[in-house]
Amino acid sequence: MTESVASATPAARGSSQAVIRIEGLCKSFDGRLVLDRVNLEVGRGSIVSVIGQSGGGKTTLMRCVNLLERPDQGTVEVAGETVHQGGRMVCRDLPRLRRTVGMVFQRFHLFPHLTAVENVVLAQRKAGVPEAQALERAVALLRRVGVAHRALAQPEQLSGGEQQRVAIARALALRPEVLLFDEPTSSLDPEATREVLSVMRELAADGMTMLLVTHELPFAREVSDHVVFVDGGRIVEEGRPEDVLDTPAEARTREFLASYGNAS
Amino acid sequence: MSGLFEVPWSDYRPDLIDALGRTVSYTVVSFSGAVLLGLAVALLRLSRAWPARALAAVYTEVFKNVPLLAIIFLTYFGLASAGIRLDVFTAGCLSLVVFYAAYLSEIFRAAISGVHAGQTEAGEALGVGRTGIFGHIVLPQALRLALPGTNTMLVDLLKSTSLLVTVSAAELMSEGRLITSATFRALEVYLVIAAIYFALCYPLSQLLLLLERKVRSGVPLSPWRRRRLRAARALLAAEPAAAVPVKEVSA
Repeated sequence: MTESVASATPAARGSSQAVIRIEGLCKSFDGRLVLDRVNLEVGRGSIVSVIGQSGGGKTTLMRCVNLLERPDQGTVEVAGETVHQGGRMVCRDLPRLRRTVGMVFQRFHLFPHLTAVENVVLAQRKAGVPEAQALERAVALLRRVGVAHRALAQPEQLSGGEQQRVAIARALALRPEVLLFDEPTSSLDPEATREVLSVMRELAADGMTMLLVTHELPFAREVSDHVVFVDGGRIVEEGRPEDVLDTPAEARTREFLASYGNAS
Repeated sequence: MSGLFEVPWSDYRPDLIDALGRTVSYTVVSFSGAVLLGLAVALLRLSRAWPARALAAVYTEVFKNVPLLAIIFLTYFGLASAGIRLDVFTAGCLSLVVFYAAYLSEIFRAAISGVHAGQTEAGEALGVGRTGIFGHIVLPQALRLALPGTNTMLVDLLKSTSLLVTVSAAELMSEGRLITSATFRALEVYLVIAAIYFALCYPLSQLLLLLERKVRSGVPLSPWRRRRLRAARALLAAEPAAAVPVKEVSA
């Protein structure tokens, strides 16, 4: 049932406008090409999952969106604005770009010297949101992700699932137009994974635009509008989740899915 | 052999209190200066520009590998013979500042680079600017890491002010020397002086340990943070229908 809500969302938003548009993206580290002419589009309200082996370039692709990584070539457009082109940064206001794009990391990266609620307040205050308003929003977001009862705890006192949910609240605090999830459940146990995925499912149902790098194939199938299989720095196959995950056209995709024991 | 305590201590009390005050002034002024200079040197050492890094490295190595006493003589007697006459308080503080800044810069540098790179990245991803990331994310965590080493240095600096006896700085050790030359009771006098240093340093280091523990457990020390957390607590308590009844633990 969650599935139907999620897939109905883009239509409900009724827009095909791309929040993220990447064209001909190339990136190499020390002469090793990790992304090779990649094209990717994430429409408003849609959810795109990137799957593939570790080291295949998925995370680098995602990090190029908010320019934590600078592409060598190609174009990156966020919310209709070109931010990087031909190996040159054309974004004038990097902080603003990054407030447009929320990011959730595999290892949470909460600020350990601050309580959960302060973690959600910090960036808002730096962006000029008044104290009372920032605090109110932080508490509301912590409620939304179900960790309000831990709002005054330090990150080290929180379980992995709680930490990642606080990190999601933190990423939502500046009302981003798109959320990037970089393997958000890869360092979590199954119980915590369920907690985090259920929060993400709710966000999906709310119509949040998301770009997701994940190893949770069933989840990708359930929430995504579009699945991209990346291998060796290139997009090998992409399409509707049922097509890519159930009836892959490429041998490489089948091989990858088989390694996951995905026989369905 | 006469009794151990024969010095008329009550006569010397005002002088000793003066001397104690001076020891504390040397400590406070020098330590503040050393922290600021040490932080600046640490930042230079972490700078992207290599000349800055080289300059900071030379500074650190020079002052770490020269005895404090030599630095004191150089600033007080050496500079004076070159025409730069510093009064004893300035010369004393300057010596302590440059010497301890070298050690503190090493502690601060290690602490700043000890903050996980993911922290800076998380700040960047949230659109926090460079100064905001340093001031609100990296520095507070680095201070936590630097606290134990810094505290050791503070106590060490306090004890090192006694070296200023060589330039007659009128601090505790100098006062001890004066009393000794007036009474010829070196053992008694220096035992008392040593006891005063102990009475200063021991509570100070215990206090600093307590501070370390508080900071580590996340107790908000600034009134500004306390106010924010109070406001957060009020907002959290205002929730009428929480799914799970939450007992707010008030600190």
